Amino acid sequence: MAVCIAVIAKENYPLYIRSVPVQNELKFHYTVHTSLDVVEEKISAVGKAMADQRELYLGLLYPTEDYKVYGYVTNSKVKFVIVADSSNTSLRDNEIRSMFRKLHNSFTDVMCNPFYNPGDTIQSKAFDSMVSAMMVQAS
Amino acid sequence: MAQCVQSVQEFIQDSFVPMVAVLCSEDAEKVTRKNNLNFSELLRPFCRLTSEGHMRDPSNQLQVVKNLRISVNNVVTRPSVPSSGVPGHAHRRLLSEVVLTCQPAEGGVANVITAGDYDLNISATTPWFEAYRESFLQSMPASDHEFLNHYLACLLVVSSSEAVPVEKFLKLSQEQHRIQHSGEYTNPKWFIPNTLKYYVLLHDMSQGDEQRADSVYEDMKQRYGAQGCYLLKVNSRTAAAGADEQIPDPWSQYLHKSSLQSQVQLGPRLSVPKNNVGGTSEVDGHDSEEKGSLDNTHPLQLDTPSDTPGSLDALRAVAVETKPPPLTTGVAAATSHGACLTLNDHDRIRLFIQEFTFRGLLPHIEKNIRQLNDQLVSRKGLSRSLFSATKKWFGGGKVPEKSIAELKNTSGLLYPPEAPELQIRKMADLCFLVQLYDLAYSCYHTAKKDFLSDQAMLYAAGALEMAAVSAFLQVGAPRPYPAHYMDTAIQTYRDVSKNMVLAERCALLSAEVLKSQAKYSDAATLLIKMTSEDSDLRSALLLEQAAHCFINMRNPMVRKFAFHMILAGHRFSKAGQKRHALRCYCQAMQVYKGKGWSLAEDHINFTIGRQSFTLRQPENAVTAFRHILTNDSQQTSTQQGAFLREYLYVYKNVTGACEVALPQLPLPCINSSATRVYFGHERRLAEGEKQAATHVSLDQEFDRDLAAMWQDLEEQVVAAAKRGVVPATFQSTQCCLNSQTDNLRFPLAVVEEPIIVEVVFRNPLKVPLVLSDLSLLWKFTLKDFNRPQTNKARGCVVYLPGYRP
Repeated sequence: MAVCIAVIAKENYPLYIRSVPVQNELKFHYTVHTSLDVVEEKISAVGKAMADQRELYLGLLYPTEDYKVYGYVTNSKVKFVIVADSSNTSLRDNEIRSMFRKLHNSFTDVMCNPFYNPGDTIQSKAFDSMVSAMMVQAS
Repeated sequence: MAQCVQSVQEFIQDSFVPMVAVLCSEDAEKVTRKNNLNFSELLRPFCRLTSEGHMRDPSNQLQVVKNLRISVNNVVTRPSVPSSGVPGHAHRRLLSEVVLTCQPAEGGVANVITAGDYDLNISATTPWFEAYRESFLQSMPASDHEFLNHYLACLLVVSSSEAVPVEKFLKLSQEQHRIQHSGEYTNPKWFIPNTLKYYVLLHDMSQGDEQRADSVYEDMKQRYGAQGCYLLKVNSRTAAAGADEQIPDPWSQYLHKSSLQSQVQLGPRLSVPKNNVGGTSEVDGHDSEEKGSLDNTHPLQLDTPSDTPGSLDALRAVAVETKPPPLTTGVAAATSHGACLTLNDHDRIRLFIQEFTFRGLLPHIEKNIRQLNDQLVSRKGLSRSLFSATKKWFGGGKVPEKSIAELKNTSGLLYPPEAPELQIRKMADLCFLVQLYDLAYSCYHTAKKDFLSDQAMLYAAGALEMAAVSAFLQVGAPRPYPAHYMDTAIQTYRDVSKNMVLAERCALLSAEVLKSQAKYSDAATLLIKMTSEDSDLRSALLLEQAAHCFINMRNPMVRKFAFHMILAGHRFSKAGQKRHALRCYCQAMQVYKGKGWSLAEDHINFTIGRQSFTLRQPENAVTAFRHILTNDSQQTSTQQGAFLREYLYVYKNVTGACEVALPQLPLPCINSSATRVYFGHERRLAEGEKQAATHVSLDQEFDRDLAAMWQDLEEQVVAAAKRGVVPATFQSTQCCLNSQTDNLRFPLAVVEEPIIVEVVFRNPLKVPLVLSDLSLLWKFTLKDFNRPQTNKARGCVVYLPGYRP
């Protein structure tokens, strides 16, 4: 279960950030922002040769002592970042991939909305509810 | 890490230098005192040798020793730093002083680094870190498991004005012997049982008899050999002579540091009689700030409302308290040093040190290396074969390298001073001090194996550390830098021996080496691992260096740089270094500004505002706070309430100062296009039977069609009154000016009737704003309507003050 989910635009500003324990929100903001460095490194590392073949799922970006951060980038350079609790060891790669897939689908739905301007923050209720379903239940 | 002034080799070589002690007689002390210096201080600027020395290693090959530096200190029999792994309070104070006094120059060297879409303006050098490092390494205590800090030689200085210098020499020699061998003193530590004694006859040119001095010197040469003594002539100038020639004063830079250190040494003695509960609180304002309300905050935490009253009090307390009491640094810039020395004297001193090093110290070291080597070879031959033979018969197989986790936890000192393993270590240290790195490496390697097999972890860690360093410094670099040695050493120091001082030294050396090899991410990881809760200043400096590592990578990791700068800034403010904290936060701000990460930006702005305020830069504080309050803040209402309170508090202090111009407040937001001006008494539409005879009132929305209709009606009335002709200068009455009427014409208002101005405010925050004592500012300008072109009746104009949105 994720602790924080973020959608980041191509220009590296956040379109959507939600985190579950609300009081630590600032820490998650910082974590996501710093993980962008690693995302950029991975994107640029692949290079021109494999530009068409680049995989969307970036995998574990880096582990901190409490959290693991996973990344995913779409073809339009929109990045998804999931921060998951390290104590929850049962999260396997496939589960993370499925979470990203769901995120990507919802995001596509949001983009398809004719009233949504790309570059605005995401305020769709459907997207919100999908994200809440993926987050850790606040105890 | 940021770029340092010294290269890696220079830095490492300067960290480990041969130590020489000085014992002075009282008369000799008086001679040098004429210059406001004692003998070791006199020598200090000249301790770096400019020429090369030669020595032979045990295999009789000639080695060249370049750029050697020696360290000359007075014999201090009282320990300055406790030999445990935790630095004492006075030691910490010294280090924080060093960092505090070294601030970045205003408008210093700044690089513009372009990374992606970030253009950052940061300085590439961090001189305060270098200053910290230097004083940290110089004030490291001598320990028993390594010999690099132990004194190799002792200078015995006697003045030539003594009646019987020889006797004095004898006395001093016995004194040194007593200090070394009597066992009463744990400090200073001596390298070898027979320390080199070098006899110096100090002759005062301005008041001595030169013939006599020369004859005494001849006598000494007979007694101690020409290589063991020296006649040093100083004070060629009398103190009364005016300063017609500018004598350079190389002592001031060294003396400032040493005065702090000596002050530190006196510190523990002075504070003992007082009954200090909870540490010293008398001298440093910084110490009291350390225990302030910033103690238990998390770096990323914003203050909750329950905290803010406390923090506001802290702000008030800081604002009230005057500047921290000036430290008694003793040696002010006004006292001059070396006033009695001419340039000739400088040269003579330089020559003296060169003579001493090349004729006395280096041969002594060479002889000792040879001796130790002989001992080792002979012992190795016999005992090794026995040992290995017995192992072959009973043990079998090579002893595998055990990992640290498996070895037992022995951190105590196991070896007596004359143990054979320690001899290897001594020899390795001697070789290292004179730059024989190949030999040093092989000895350290052997020593490490011995210590590990004996499970003497502290010694092993020391040997590992030095082995890694000497492998790096080897000329020609036949082997790559063994970073894992260093990692093991650091881990051992931290976990097994709990000696953070040594671990820190390891980390500093290793990070410097990795940086020179451009392995920035390794260096950064190493530095970050070393940060811990016990020392804020160290953690702050290491975090800052790690941030610089990130930015110096080939693909600069800008955001990691910014994040670590924020962490460093927080630690700096906990350690009481407010200016450094502000600098860190401002640099981090460059990365976050305008990028849409509003929570982070708000947090940084808030902290910058606070720090600026405590540093008495209120304009910066106000600007920083303004940013938080005007943007569409996504903070919670409690957070906004806290921000607002801080802002108002800071603001009151700012406006108290300047009364000239009225300040511009960012709140509430004024919607200037919705302003309306209404002339005359407020007319109500309907009150029971009465109807107001007007079509305009403030309660109504403006309706363009209706207004046009009324205007037509008015024209017809006027036309009817003027017999069908509307005069050319007719203008319809305007009762209410708003954004949709034609406001260029000057309206008519009646004297002594009110003019009502309606202003629309907007509160962008989630907390209520209480506005009180509002008053409208207005300015009256008399306009002369009698000029030919306007041809209007004389009137007056009321200018409403421009709104500042």
